[in-house]
Amino acid sequence: MIEGGWDYVWPAYAVTIGALLVVTVVVALRAMHWAKRARALEPKKDERA
Amino acid sequence: MLSYLANPQRFMGFSAWAAPLFAVLAFVLFAVGLPWALFYSPADYQQGETVRIMYVHVPAAWWAMGVYAFMGGASFVGLVWRHVLADIAARAAAPVGAVFAGVCLVTGSLWGAPTWGTWWEWDGRLTSMLALFIIYLGYLALWSAVEDEEKAARLAAILCLVGLINLPIIKFSVDWWSTLHQPASIMRSGGSAIDPSMMGPLLTMAGAFLALFGALTLYNMRAAIFRRRVEAAELRGAGA
Repeated sequence: MIEGGWDYVWPAYAVTIGALLVVTVVVALRAMHWAKRARALEPKKDERA
Repeated sequence: MLSYLANPQRFMGFSAWAAPLFAVLAFVLFAVGLPWALFYSPADYQQGETVRIMYVHVPAAWWAMGVYAFMGGASFVGLVWRHVLADIAARAAAPVGAVFAGVCLVTGSLWGAPTWGTWWEWDGRLTSMLALFIIYLGYLALWSAVEDEEKAARLAAILCLVGLINLPIIKFSVDWWSTLHQPASIMRSGGSAIDPSMMGPLLTMAGAFLALFGALTLYNMRAAIFRRRVEAAELRGAGA
């Protein structure tokens, strides 16, 4: 049986969780940014109406 | 269902509740799957603790290919029916698929080092998976490089459809060529060769990756639709 497996398991999980967290944060920030900008346009639409 | 959601207004209504639902589902599945995979599943009689890498490596590999197949379908719809939402869906999925492919490569390397005695081997499975990762990066670069979004969508869709040929190569590479990588042990004729005690955490983690993909792609699509609305309004403002 292979010994010392945890030395490889921890980095694998750290890379996975780190990469998934980074992409999640980037997507969330991007989604919030554009939603906020789109909401800011809504009063202008009302003014035109 | 798909034609119903093809209307951007209806899609925004649907994604407003579906995206957070997928996000919560992903959180719950990761909260269950990670401790199950790390602490409550058994070590392998040959691979020892290193087998736990399977619970992140295999779902990342499955969905790196699954996301690309989704992008292929969306690209086909965008190319044939010129549907903007299909182009947006393909582009929104790409960064998630690229991250899954990158995670698959890194965790595979970390699994290979103790079990094969090497971090990398230029064999069919590893090379074709690296090719998938590079195709993802090329697809994203193409979208960014072409300023005209309609033209970018067409070119990216063609690239994506051409890249689909790589999916069967990845899947069958272990059968076609001599490789260090093990042959299929779950999706194979004759049933799964994995012990049921390992199947639970594996499927839970696969579900978590899928739910995360759903949430991130929907949020990405919403951001793209909001961005187009803002840019259209700014153009109207500049023209007025």
